[in-house]
Amino acid sequence: MLYKAIILGIIGIIVVWDSRLFGRLNVEQPLIASTLVGIALGDVTKGLMVGATLELISLGLVNVGAAAPPDMALGSIIAAAFAILSGASAQTALTIAIPIAVLGQLLAIVLRMAMSSFNVMANRYIDEGKFKSATNLHIIWGSALYAISYFVPIFISIYFGTGLVKQIVSVIPKWLTSGLTVASAVLPAYGFALLLSTMLSKKMAPYFFIGFLITAYANISVTGIALFAILIAILLDQIIYKDKSSSSSGGDGDSLDSL
Amino acid sequence: MSENNKSEKAVKKENNKKYWQFFWRSWTIQASWNYERQMNLGFLYGISPTLNRIYKDPKDIDKKKSAYKRHLAFYNCTPQTSSFVLGLSASMEEQLSQNPDDFDPESISAVKSSLMGPLSGIEDSFFQGTVKVLAFGLGINFAQKGNILGPILALLICLVPAWLVTWYGAKWGYTAGNQFLTKLNSEGAMDRVMFIAGVVGLMVIGSMVASMISLTTPLHMGTTFKLQSTLNTIMPKLIPISLTMFMYWLIQKKVNTGWILTVCIIGGILASVLGILKA
Repeated sequence: MLYKAIILGIIGIIVVWDSRLFGRLNVEQPLIASTLVGIALGDVTKGLMVGATLELISLGLVNVGAAAPPDMALGSIIAAAFAILSGASAQTALTIAIPIAVLGQLLAIVLRMAMSSFNVMANRYIDEGKFKSATNLHIIWGSALYAISYFVPIFISIYFGTGLVKQIVSVIPKWLTSGLTVASAVLPAYGFALLLSTMLSKKMAPYFFIGFLITAYANISVTGIALFAILIAILLDQIIYKDKSSSSSGGDGDSLDSL
Repeated sequence: MSENNKSEKAVKKENNKKYWQFFWRSWTIQASWNYERQMNLGFLYGISPTLNRIYKDPKDIDKKKSAYKRHLAFYNCTPQTSSFVLGLSASMEEQLSQNPDDFDPESISAVKSSLMGPLSGIEDSFFQGTVKVLAFGLGINFAQKGNILGPILALLICLVPAWLVTWYGAKWGYTAGNQFLTKLNSEGAMDRVMFIAGVVGLMVIGSMVASMISLTTPLHMGTTFKLQSTLNTIMPKLIPISLTMFMYWLIQKKVNTGWILTVCIIGGILASVLGILKA
């Protein structure tokens, strides 16, 4: 079982690195993850079947913005492993996998919060002239921590069984889970504020609020706002810079003045 | 003539190396995704070879430090299209180092912010929508018959467009960016571009505040009065914008980053326990 737990943990690492290091090529999709599990456990056909069922469940879940997704990638590795090891159906195996996905999601929230402290560290490294250390935070430490966040729950649940994971999840109080979720939604506000502090000036502030208000009231997507913004900016550019060029070129300015 | 050709070849080789750098580093952009500034460290990692090349001289270390810090700002954009932003930003950094006097470093941040929104839209609709559904819809069909071609085809269908978009994004971002910027600089039109990028960037950030911070309040009195519904009639998303402006104020007051992060986390948990905020 130790050997299987390690191999499945490594599949977990491949799957989590798909969106971390390989630009999300969809290796993390249940169909692929489950097939990999099938190959590792020596039952490719079962892996394919379970993968197809899980994929059907998962399609339609699009992961958008900062909210933590229902961790289908982690869930499907566990579910596929249990379906193959115990002969359970894909749906039953997925139910068993839910507590593990919950644990994984919680770990992911804590991890993404902890990684906010990388920003403080990177800033300090840059001040000290340790540029390499600053970028290593990303490529080495970031990748390693994400790998651990998948390896550990998979290893525990395969090696010790889901009973232990269920116990761990039931020990975590509800207030902490929902508290961490709220805290994770507060942090982006700070990120946006930091970005604004380099870009916002009294003259430019209205544009920020226009963008905010349109989306707040009319629920138009960020892409939609960007397209409107480009047109507004071009119109304003024509008004502002046309005035300037005509007043500096003399003749035109005079003729307008006389009107 | 032959010497000219040689140098042209060398430039081409050098540029190809740069495109590959943008390519791979754009795929690894999420390796340290964090709630606060999301893919910022990934972007810094992506542009660091360019910065190291520009500011090689030890006496430029202060410029290098400020360039590194410039790219620590919030960033969030699809990996496949980030190569375009990386290429463009790299060529802007090169321009800045050549004309430090008439190139506003803030325009780099503004251009980045203005590109995030529309380019991320491609992820949601094209890669996560169309391509993924097509690839896996087909894959499921094969897999249900126990055919290993299912997952293989699905992966290939996802890989090809992702590869092409990332590669040409890197190339176009860098070359078009370079030509465009040189032309603008010679026409003295940089001010106008900075203005446009600033307007688009700020409107996009405003829109992101409204759409990406999903906080509401569950406070209510009995069943008749729900605070959130009242807030919604005044201004929807009042909580996200107030929170952002509060953070902005803290930053202007030069409050220490570590403190703000602690306040965010502890405050978030407290607000949830007391039933003031809900995500």
